[in-house]
Amino acid sequence: MPTAMAPEPAAKTVLEATRITKVFREGREEVSVLNGVDIALGAGEIVALEGPSGSGKTTFLSILGCILTPTSGRVVVDGEEIDPARSHRLPAIRKRSIGFIFQQYNLFPALTALENVEYALNIKGVSGRAARDQAEEALAAVDLVDRRRFLPRDLSGGQKQRVAIARAIAGKPAVLLADEPTANLDSAVGAQILELFRTLAKSEHRGLLIVTHDPNVRSIADRVVKIRDGRIVADSAPPSLATRVTARRGKSKEKAS
Amino acid sequence: MPNLALKNLLHDKLRSAMTIAGVAFAVTLVFVQVGLFMGILDNASVTIDHLAADLWVTSRNTPNVDFAHGFPETLVQRARSSPGVERADNLLIQFLNLTLPNGAEEGMLVYGLEDFTRWGMPWAIDSGNLEDLRRGAYMFLDASAERRFGKFSVGDYREVMGRRVKIIGRSREALSFTTSPIAFLTYDLVQELSGGRMDGRTTYILVKLAPDADATAVAAELRRRLPHNDVYTKAAWAKRSRNYWVASTGIGLNMYLTVFLGCLVGVVVVTQTLYTSTMEHIKEFGTVKAIGGSNADIYRILGAQAVIAAVIGFIAGRLMAFALAPAMEKIRLKLIISHEFAAIVFVGTLVLCLVAALVSFRKVAKIDPALVFRG
Repeated sequence: MPTAMAPEPAAKTVLEATRITKVFREGREEVSVLNGVDIALGAGEIVALEGPSGSGKTTFLSILGCILTPTSGRVVVDGEEIDPARSHRLPAIRKRSIGFIFQQYNLFPALTALENVEYALNIKGVSGRAARDQAEEALAAVDLVDRRRFLPRDLSGGQKQRVAIARAIAGKPAVLLADEPTANLDSAVGAQILELFRTLAKSEHRGLLIVTHDPNVRSIADRVVKIRDGRIVADSAPPSLATRVTARRGKSKEKAS
Repeated sequence: MPNLALKNLLHDKLRSAMTIAGVAFAVTLVFVQVGLFMGILDNASVTIDHLAADLWVTSRNTPNVDFAHGFPETLVQRARSSPGVERADNLLIQFLNLTLPNGAEEGMLVYGLEDFTRWGMPWAIDSGNLEDLRRGAYMFLDASAERRFGKFSVGDYREVMGRRVKIIGRSREALSFTTSPIAFLTYDLVQELSGGRMDGRTTYILVKLAPDADATAVAAELRRRLPHNDVYTKAAWAKRSRNYWVASTGIGLNMYLTVFLGCLVGVVVVTQTLYTSTMEHIKEFGTVKAIGGSNADIYRILGAQAVIAAVIGFIAGRLMAFALAPAMEKIRLKLIISHEFAAIVFVGTLVLCLVAALVSFRKVAKIDPALVFRG
């Protein structure tokens, strides 16, 4: 089995999972979803996590996001080791260190763009003027200040995802976890969102893990991790554009011959 | 801080309107039922409340003011000579028959006093002079008698126990629980009309205390001097009269049952709408958890929604009950809603709405935040 690639020595590791297993009980049966997976994510690093449906991506993401605890294995988020016996600590770790971006955006429909971000900051313990200022700052980072008074229903898909990203980066978490963030967007808007991700991860040194089926995500990823049947089957730098073109030509020639 | 509870309510206008309508309906029902009950009960003690007597001496175990029993009228002297008593007079209350112009007979409740002006009875007079009662076979008849006796005017005559009595005045608001019309005649005339059975007898002694007299001490002295009678303070006697009807007629049970049903309907409606709303917002609540929020954060949202629905629903219900009062008055039904009772209903509404939110609390407590990853 290929092993997880360590982040560059200079980059601080913001998320590390070692030998993670997860077994769900269904009646008397035990279903093993993850079988000893490892991953490490450095500050400013972008990792694409790919895999077919049922491969364990979402379960792995839930464990990395401190939503689920693993059956065994070790998770360290921004320097804090997760203790499965102290699951009540998980919300506090999520508040402090993790920002989520969802496929369906999951914005609060009754709140404006600004209020969506502000409310998340309130949950994180930031309130009043400070919350308002930080929310404005986060919306400015995603270039959406002019839409701050809009309700989600009045925003396009790309704008909703920008609000969701602003909500995720507000409070400056060390780790951003994105679940299929471009799945509901057309390719042009998806490309803009990916560029935004790249900028945010690199300029603000956040570790970004993107669970995706979208091959375009590779264009911004530092590494691509493939998961299948609960195991990591590949962990490598994405092929460069030249490599990909060469590979495609090679395949064409094989077909022609 | 964005008020997610309020914003959600404003966002789901139709559902919010249903929730508030449910609360308002329950509040209106409770106000109208209890208000009518209090109005009817008020009739059971309205004369006690208005008579300027501090203490009432009754025959032993008299159940309420309308069902009076006789005792020797000379006992009033013992009351008059008691320390702390400024004035004591006999009051004779009797059911007497009145013959209507069409020949039918109806019962009425007559109040007999030597001097009504001394005791502030009747308290609301439309026409006539109470001083004139002593000048002959005269009576004041309450306007409410028209429901039973038909129209009458000052100057008309009616037969009471076979004797012509002239109506010389008209009062208002003097009602009895039994709905028997009330008339005011002199003490002597009531005795006379009672056909000898009340000769030398009275039904109550009204006592007015001297300034600075201690009501408890005077009552104790009266009990000592009148060992075969009961002595009540005004409030205790009014309460006893009201309680008699609550216990004996079942209207109390009826009222409690209706109030219970009103509350039940309110709770069911609020529970249902809050729960449906919670289910529709389940992914949002999952998101709150995913971004680090606790169950308590979500309870606060649901609790605030319940409180907002309770407050607006209470105000709407109170206004509806307020608007219904004049319509009730037109059909001669009194709606009495005291500030104390309104405060109790307000607190009750808050509590019941929070109880209704408990079902939603249980639901959100079990939310798996991982649901946010489901498409």
